[in-house]
Amino acid sequence: MTSGADVAVTGLGLVTPAGCDATRTWAGVLDGRPTAALDPELEGNSVRLSCRVSGFDADALLGARRALRLDPFVRFTLVAAHEAVADAGLDPADWDGARVGVVLGCADGGPGTVETQHRTLLDEGAQRVSPLLLPMQLPNMLAGQTAIEFGATGPNLVVATACASGATAIGTARDLLLLHRCDVVLAGGGEAMITPLVMAGFARMGALSHREGDPATASRPFDAGRDGFVAAEGASVLVLERTSDARARSARIRARVVGYGASADAHHMTSPHPTGAGSEAAVRAALADAGAGTGDVGHVNAHGTSTPLNDLAEGRMIGRLFTDGPVVTSTKGVTGHMLGAAGAVEAALTVLALEKGVVPPTANLSTLDPELDIEVATVPTACPDGLALSNSFGFGGQNAVLALARA
Amino acid sequence: MFETLKEMLVSKLKVAPEQVTPEATREDVELDSLAVVELSLLLEKELGLQISDDELLEAPTIRDMADLMAERSASA
Repeated sequence: MTSGADVAVTGLGLVTPAGCDATRTWAGVLDGRPTAALDPELEGNSVRLSCRVSGFDADALLGARRALRLDPFVRFTLVAAHEAVADAGLDPADWDGARVGVVLGCADGGPGTVETQHRTLLDEGAQRVSPLLLPMQLPNMLAGQTAIEFGATGPNLVVATACASGATAIGTARDLLLLHRCDVVLAGGGEAMITPLVMAGFARMGALSHREGDPATASRPFDAGRDGFVAAEGASVLVLERTSDARARSARIRARVVGYGASADAHHMTSPHPTGAGSEAAVRAALADAGAGTGDVGHVNAHGTSTPLNDLAEGRMIGRLFTDGPVVTSTKGVTGHMLGAAGAVEAALTVLALEKGVVPPTANLSTLDPELDIEVATVPTACPDGLALSNSFGFGGQNAVLALARA
Repeated sequence: MFETLKEMLVSKLKVAPEQVTPEATREDVELDSLAVVELSLLLEKELGLQISDDELLEAPTIRDMADLMAERSASA
C-alpha cells in the first residue's frame, strides 16, 4: 500500500454533548462522563432523555445574522468545520476553492424547523409560513452552507444512510480524493433532530432507552442491562487530503483513512440482520480495501448504540471475526447517539485514540452482555498497534466501516 | 416609522444597527429576497401593516420602506 492510495486526516473539529470543540470532547469521552439528562423540551414525551450540546453560542461563533437563518444541524457543522480547517493549517483565503469538496452526512436535515413552521401553518395559516422553511431544513443545505462559508466550489453533496451517514460521507470523500475529483475535502456530518415529533417516533419504535433512575446511566453499550439508545445532537468535520499531498505541504497528519467498506443488509427496515451478515460484509470490505486482514486490527470503535439488537448482532460479529481480541469501545456511553453525525464523530475519536495511543472507555458498562465474547474497554486502555475500525450502521440496513491507521 | 423599521430589522432580522440608515439600500443592509418576505410577514404580524414583499422590493432605500409603512398606516 503506497501513501498515494490513502488519505490523510489533517484536521478535525467536534461539537458534541461532551464539549463544543475537539479538546473538550476528547476530555469528556476519555473521562467516561455520560451526558444523558432529562430534556425540558421533551416535557410531553414518554421518553424525555437526550444528550444535548450545551454552552454553544451560535451568535458569537457565526454572527447573529447568519445564525438566525441556519437550523442547528448546520450551525453545529459550520463551527466544527471552522475548527477542522484551522487545525489543518489551511486558509480559505488562499486555497483554490474549485479543488475543495464538501461531503457531509445527516439523517434528517432540520426537523425542528419543519415542526415550528408546521405549527405556524396550523395556528396562523399558510401565509405566515417562513420563506426560510426550506432553505433551513433541506438536508443538502449542510454541504451548501459549508461551501458558502469557506468558498469551497468543488464537488458538494450530502449523503443519507441514517446513522451511518457520517461514515458514508468520509468514505465517499476518500473515493473523491483517490479519483482526483478534488484535492481537499471537508467531510463529516451534523445532526440536530431531538424534537418532540422525532422523539415520539423513536419511542414508538421501541428504540429509545426508557431507563428509570439516574439519566446518566441510560446509554450503556454492550451492558447486559441496556434497553435502548439515547438520542444526541452534534457534528464532526475532518479535513481529508491525499497523504502524498499532505506530506508535500508538510501538513501535520493526525491519522490516515486507509480503507472503507459499505454494504446493505437487505433484511428489514429497522432491525439489523441477526447474524450481522451485512455489517460483517462492510468490515471485510474495509479491510480488503486497506489490504489488511482481521489480525491487523487493534481497536474497534463500535457502532454500539446501547439497543438490545444492535449491540448483540455487532458484538457477536466482532467476536466471530476477530480472534485476536481488538480493544472495543463505544463512545456512545458518553455522547449518546448523534445519529447521522455519529459516524463522523466516532471517526474523529478513533483518530484521537490512534494519535494519543489510548482507547476511551465505554461509559456505564458494568456487566458485559453474557452473550458476548469481546474485550470492551471500561477504563482508558492502551491502544494496541495495528489498524482501527470505526463501525456505523443505519436503519434501513446501511453499513459503513472506516479503517484508520496511525500517521 | 424609520425608528420602528430599524428596531424591527435589528431585533428580529439581526441586521447590525449601524448599517440601518435612511439612505441605506436593501443591499447595504443585506436583505435578500427571502429576508424581504420575512420583513413583510413581520410588518403584518407585529404592526398589522399589509405590505407585500413585491412592494418592499420596489422601495430603493430604507427611507422609502419607512414611507411606505407610514402611507399604509395612515390609510389603514
